[in-house]
Amino acid sequence: MLLIKLWNYLRGYVIIKISGEYCERLLNQAALNGLYLWDITKPENNVLFAKSGIKDFTRLARFAKKTGCRLVIVGRAGLFFSILKLKKRKILLTGAALFILAVYLLSSLVWGIEVKTDDNKLKSSIKRDLMNWGIKKGTFKHRIDKEYYLDKILIKYKEIAWAELQIKGSQVIVELVKKQMPPELEQNEPCDIIASKDGIIEEILPFKGEAMVKPGDTVSRGDVIISGRLTLKSNDLDEEKKEEQQEVLVHAKGIVRARVWYQKVVKVPLVKKEKFPTGNTKKAYRINVGNRALRFQLGAIPYSLYDKKVTRKIQLLPKIFGDVGLSSITYIELEEKERFIGMKEAIKQAEEQLEQEINKLESDAKINKRSIDFTLDNDKKHVIGSLTLEVLEDIGLQRQIK
Amino acid sequence: MKEEFKQKISDALDLPKDIVLDLSRIIITGKISIFLENHKGIIEYSKDLVRIKTTSGVVAIKGKGLVIKSIIVDEITVEGKLETIEFED
Repeated sequence: MLLIKLWNYLRGYVIIKISGEYCERLLNQAALNGLYLWDITKPENNVLFAKSGIKDFTRLARFAKKTGCRLVIVGRAGLFFSILKLKKRKILLTGAALFILAVYLLSSLVWGIEVKTDDNKLKSSIKRDLMNWGIKKGTFKHRIDKEYYLDKILIKYKEIAWAELQIKGSQVIVELVKKQMPPELEQNEPCDIIASKDGIIEEILPFKGEAMVKPGDTVSRGDVIISGRLTLKSNDLDEEKKEEQQEVLVHAKGIVRARVWYQKVVKVPLVKKEKFPTGNTKKAYRINVGNRALRFQLGAIPYSLYDKKVTRKIQLLPKIFGDVGLSSITYIELEEKERFIGMKEAIKQAEEQLEQEINKLESDAKINKRSIDFTLDNDKKHVIGSLTLEVLEDIGLQRQIK
Repeated sequence: MKEEFKQKISDALDLPKDIVLDLSRIIITGKISIFLENHKGIIEYSKDLVRIKTTSGVVAIKGKGLVIKSIIVDEITVEGKLETIEFED
């Protein structure tokens, strides 16, 4: 009965007053003909109050004539009538619609920009830049391309190691992590120049300070190459004072080029394991709601080795209702096969890998000599490629004198 | 004779009597509600008395503030303060 009542509420119902000598007969007629009446009360003689659906009421009117009863509608209720009433109040409706629209519009604007960092200088500078680039109060948040602005921030500010741009409600939040830069020495801070790597000095040009090594000398990491500690010989004729050597600390400066060796070893197996699809596939479906995914599939994935491919995405609801999509996933069974690739192929692969290592080196380094050797491993299953590079590079590094 | 025969069958086969004998089933909930299945129509209705015709006679429900909660082809629900239920032949 609850269901019927709910249905009647949705469709709308009328409260009717039945007056007449034989009201009960009308009730019987109605029941016999499948009309549904409920909440029937009889407050006084010959008067009945009842509730009835709209459609039932028109049919009831016909029976009323037969039985000699009078029907009067005393009230209307239900969703149908509520909507009907609302339809007359056009201004109220437009007001409500405008309100919803206004809330939606206002909430899709950016109202604040927050930069989360301890550095106040950086904070205000980034805020200013974001404003110049187009994120300010009143910008539509759906139009903000996060990647674009992040890239711009990261390109402009080298001291930022990591950054994230979030849009939370009407706030744009930029989170930053600053790089820990090595302390730059002041121009006049006394310092030495030391070797950053082991090598043989090829060339040394001290601009300021005293060279401690000659070309051809071997230095190891940490050795002082150009000293900022200068000893002055006093011209004073005084014998006593001559003994006392005066020391001056300077900011050492210079170019130190040295031959440095790099060695890299790669191991390439002669037998390669490769994955091939067997042709068996299994499908599953996934419903995405925002970032959450609901996956349903029949049975477990029967493959021990498989590849996953998400094939398509159908938007289930319009964008305004959120990101609800359906995508199908295809699991492709894979098979592992071993393949003997041979010496030539292995050497080629080893060479490619070593080539990549060379490219990783700093660009300003000049390669003097290079040699690549290939040998077979003891167990004869791998090719070992070893690369030796002789590089001419600047190994000077400033270190403060304490 | 026919009724007795039907009753015997329903006893023997343990069939529900209200279906075999076309009788009405009455469910009374406390003193507030009475549900009557398989009725033949209302004879009289006022807030103190409801008389309902059934195959086995008239059922008279007496009480105070009686309301017919719903009425369809073969079901009636009466609510109110029930006092007596009588079977009239």
